[in-house]
Formats: sequence, C-alpha cells, structure tokens
Amino acid sequence: MMPIAKTIKNKIVSAFHVADEVMRSKAVETIEYEVGELDNIFAILVLGAFIGIPSPPIHITMELLPEMENEFEIMLEKVSTAHDPLGDLFSVLDID
Amino acid sequence: MKPELQFFIGKGGVGKSTTSAIASVHLSRNSRDILLVSMDPAHNQRDIFQQDFGEKPQRVANHLLVKEVDVDYWIENYLKETEKTIKQTYSYESAFNLQNYFNVLQFSPGLEEYALLLAFENIIHTFEDKNIIIFDMAPTALTLRFFSLPFITLIWLEELLKLRDHIFSKKEIISKIKIGRRQIEQDKVKAKLELLIHNYDHLRDHFLSDETKINLVMNNDKLSFSEAFRIKKKLIDIGIHIESVLVNKSNSKAVPDEVRDEFNSQKIALFPLSSKSLLGYKAINEYIDENNEIFLEIK
Repeated sequence: MMPIAKTIKNKIVSAFHVADEVMRSKAVETIEYEVGELDNIFAILVLGAFIGIPSPPIHITMELLPEMENEFEIMLEKVSTAHDPLGDLFSVLDID
Repeated sequence: MKPELQFFIGKGGVGKSTTSAIASVHLSRNSRDILLVSMDPAHNQRDIFQQDFGEKPQRVANHLLVKEVDVDYWIENYLKETEKTIKQTYSYESAFNLQNYFNVLQFSPGLEEYALLLAFENIIHTFEDKNIIIFDMAPTALTLRFFSLPFITLIWLEELLKLRDHIFSKKEIISKIKIGRRQIEQDKVKAKLELLIHNYDHLRDHFLSDETKINLVMNNDKLSFSEAFRIKKKLIDIGIHIESVLVNKSNSKAVPDEVRDEFNSQKIALFPLSSKSLLGYKAINEYIDENNEIFLEIK
C-alpha cells in the first residue's frame, strides 16, 4: 500500500477510536455521576463524623477509613460544592 | 478443645470481682486450668488477690492465672495500627489534613467497648489451651454495650455491604461500556466489609455458643434485683441466655422469692456474707472451705 494511503487509513482509524471513546464516555456520563453520588452517600454513612454528621459505631469508621481515600475525596469535594448542587447536576444532564 | 467462657456481670458494687475470684480459685483447685481476666477498667482483682496484675497474666496458684485488660493500651495500639495503614494506603494524607481529624477520633465515644472487644478476641485466640476463661466484667452499662456491639455492628456492616454491592455493579457497567470488559480490579472496601462481617459473625457466635456462660451477680436488695431484671431483659433482646444467678453477700439461707420467680430456668447460688474481709488467696480458700455448699448447685 502507498505510504500516503496508509497514513490516511491510520488517521481515519484513530479518528474513529477517538469518536468511539467520546461516545462511550458520553454514554456513561450520567451513570458515572450517579456512582459519584452513591460513593458520596457511602462516604457520608461511614465518614460522616469528619463533616459533622453523626456516624456509625466509630470502630466501623476506623476499620474502613484506610481503604476509603477516593470516597473521602469525593465527600470533601461535594461538601465544598454543596452551595450549588443543582448547577452540578445540570451540567451533567446538559441543561443550560 | 475450646475453653469454656464464663462472664460475671451485674450492677456496680454487687461483688462481681469477688465472686469471680472465688469461682476461679474453686475451679482451679479441681485441677482445671483457669485464666481470670479483669475487663473492668477500674480493676479490683489486684486488691482482692493483693498482687499486681497487668496485660501479662500472672500466676496466683498452680492452675490459676490472672490478667487485667488495659483498655488504654488497646485503644492506643489500635489507633496506631490504623494510622499506620492510612499512611501506607493514602497518597494525599496531608491534603486532607487528616492527622487533625484523626487526633480527635481517639476521644470518640464507643472506643472503650471496642477496645474491650479487641482484647476479648485476642484473649480467646491466645489462651486456647485453658479449660475455662473467666471474665470479671465492668458494671452494667459498659458490659451491655460490649455484648451488643457485634450485633449492632453487623446490622451496619450488612447495610453498608448492600450499598457497596450496588455501587460496584454500576462501576462494572461503566467499565464494560468504556473499555469493553468488566472491571477486574477488586473493590478493597467491599473486601474489607466482607472480612469484618466474617469476624463479627464469629464473635456473635461466641456470645451465643453453649460454651459461653453468663453469671449474673446481685445482692439481696430491691435496687439490685430491679437492675438484674433489666439486664436479663436486655440480654434476651440480643439472644444471650443467662446461665446462673449468684446472690452475693446473702444473710439468709433461702433464695429471695422475686429472684426465684424471675429466674426460674437459671441455676441460683447463694454466696453467704463473709464474717471477715475476703482479701488474699488464703482468705478466699478459707471462704470456699467454709461454704462448700455454694458449688453444689453451680459448677
């Protein structure tokens, strides 16, 4: 195959890959948001003591704390954007 | 064979420490290997046996070892271990300023009974060679919290696991759509939850097992009875059965009617009031010789 044709083919293939990735990401955007919310709920249930919400028996917090860095991060992030929860949701749902 | 576990529980000041000391000495005289463990943060066994005890069991007689659980040691140890694991697993520990939060956690209510539970777990694993392990418990409130801890914890853990499963299945869908295959990476939190449920199931089974015997200690007075009745009710709620009832410092030879009516399926023993103070191994032995009939009814 001519080198130029090969280059064009590769470009088209990679364009498709990118498009595929974008579409796939778009498709799971909402469900990812939902998982983030669920993770947040889970974190609040276990780590609520850190943001002033009555927590479960403290030893459950202590046992799970070492494995929950991600959830901890999500929870603290949500706390800082808590003043505008609707804006957060609308941006995921593509509502202007 | 697993050791039998005997708990001495009851209202503060009724004589849990004294009766458990008497029972321990009596059982050890029958050549059975006994470990007496003081679980009351305000330890009394050192005063009764007039000997210093600590985390390391001390020998009092041929077949009798005594150990005092140091609650502060267990809390401190536990916090240190948790902190160490956090340092190993977290990449942004300092970003959260976690250290500050963590320092506050050690003053959380509930850690005391958890420390007791950790100590208890450690004891039943370490002293499997004993025939009987006798636990001299703290007064009612702390003891009831200690007994109900595995039950409450399991309710929480099972609900958390359900939520975690739900999250995990959604994450699987995401990874399937995004990268075309299911996520193979294991969810560490889920694994930890499952491990904890396994451990607490085990502990709960210990409390409910036939090898675990609860001795409820009381005095011959109204206040002591009503608290004993309440303890019985609370323990029934979580499914724990009381094996025997010990009426301590008893002046009469007859079991009080209220006690007989309320505890009709339990063994009842009267511990007569001693004319002299029961301090030291020798005095306890003399008391047992004088009042041998106590142990006819109970083991």
